[in-house]
Amino acid sequence: MGKKEAPKEPKKQSEVTKAAKGFFYGMALHGMVTYALRLRMHMENLFMLITMGDMLGIPVLPPYYSLRLLPYAVPSLKTWKQTLLRDRDITDSLY
Amino acid sequence: MSAAVKAGMADYFASNSDVKYILFGGKGGLGKTTLSAATAYWLASRGKRVCVFSTDPQASLSDIFERKIFGQGEVELAANLYAVEIDADRRIAEYQEEIRKKIKDMYKMETIPEEVEDYINSSAAEPAMAESATFDAMVELMTAGKFEYYVFDMMPHGHAIRFLGMADILDQWVEKIVTVRKKAGEYGEAATVIGSKGSLAQEDLVLKELEYIRGRLDFVSTMVRDRKHTAFFYVLIPELMPILDTRKALEMFREFNVTVSGVVMNQVYPRELKDQPDVPVFLKNKISSQQEYVQQIQSEFGSLIRGIVPMLDREPKGLKMISKVADILYGS
Repeated sequence: MGKKEAPKEPKKQSEVTKAAKGFFYGMALHGMVTYALRLRMHMENLFMLITMGDMLGIPVLPPYYSLRLLPYAVPSLKTWKQTLLRDRDITDSLY
Repeated sequence: MSAAVKAGMADYFASNSDVKYILFGGKGGLGKTTLSAATAYWLASRGKRVCVFSTDPQASLSDIFERKIFGQGEVELAANLYAVEIDADRRIAEYQEEIRKKIKDMYKMETIPEEVEDYINSSAAEPAMAESATFDAMVELMTAGKFEYYVFDMMPHGHAIRFLGMADILDQWVEKIVTVRKKAGEYGEAATVIGSKGSLAQEDLVLKELEYIRGRLDFVSTMVRDRKHTAFFYVLIPELMPILDTRKALEMFREFNVTVSGVVMNQVYPRELKDQPDVPVFLKNKISSQQEYVQQIQSEFGSLIRGIVPMLDREPKGLKMISKVADILYGS
């Protein structure tokens, strides 16, 4: 039995550490990380608007140059277009 | 000829030995291509390795040199004399294919997503696309540095101004994009360090692309304003519209801080013709009208006049005729 319980010790410890880490992260850092990621998202949206704006009828950068940046924008294209084109209402400002 | 040239084209090159890039601008159909070809011919005949490049969408170097130059790369026409006339459409198609391949390779895709494909296809229809492709080819040629002199037959003045303006505006936009991208990177990095989230793998690659674009734009902006290495000549003929166009262009170039090195008067009827008894009245009137404008050009552009090329008795086509124009413009 003792032999069987021994390996459980580190797992328990890691779960405690994990919970403590999660608690500390939630209390102290989660807000900061979310804020940083939100700012990054805004910057990404701005970047996409300047470089790929003509997809939505806002021509800023000539297509010759935006095409050069297109491969890097492929994964974010769909979400960016949805973010920019979705309907907004007053409750948006509450979030 | 009643107008006087104080310091001609040859004098200009003698006193500006560091000049490497020579641009000929002006309204369409006044002889920019002919004078660009003659200048390239003259430099090549002096043992300099020269490339003449047409940025005009209605390029006619092939017609002038009576050789197939369009879309053929650097074509050798005589010893040290090369010409390039880019096929913008083909260049755009190759460029689009390159982008498609890059996307497929990057994301291991078999086919390009529809909206991306639509965007790539529609970009070719943009009018700025051909200009940008030409612009890019021009920079590529200069940065390759294979020649001692580069002679550019520029597109008509409206386009040329836009061409120059585009570099400046784009440069400012690229600067903004770099700032946005760097900030996005910083926030992403902060989030990654604090919360072990996010991915920064492509950040450097995007910035590298932006730096590349900026490098290209900066090259042209700097080149057209560099008095030491760049000469900008404006071509006009003794008629009202080209005079007004030149006046406007000089003002606009001043705004862009581009110095015009000289003005060349082309297609001037020899005044002596008027005194010959068998010359028809029609031609006499034409000559009189031209002479008035010659005087106007003389008083308005004065010391900027670097050359006067008469109306020739046949079209300046082929190396023999180009050498004749070069003799007139530079003195044999």
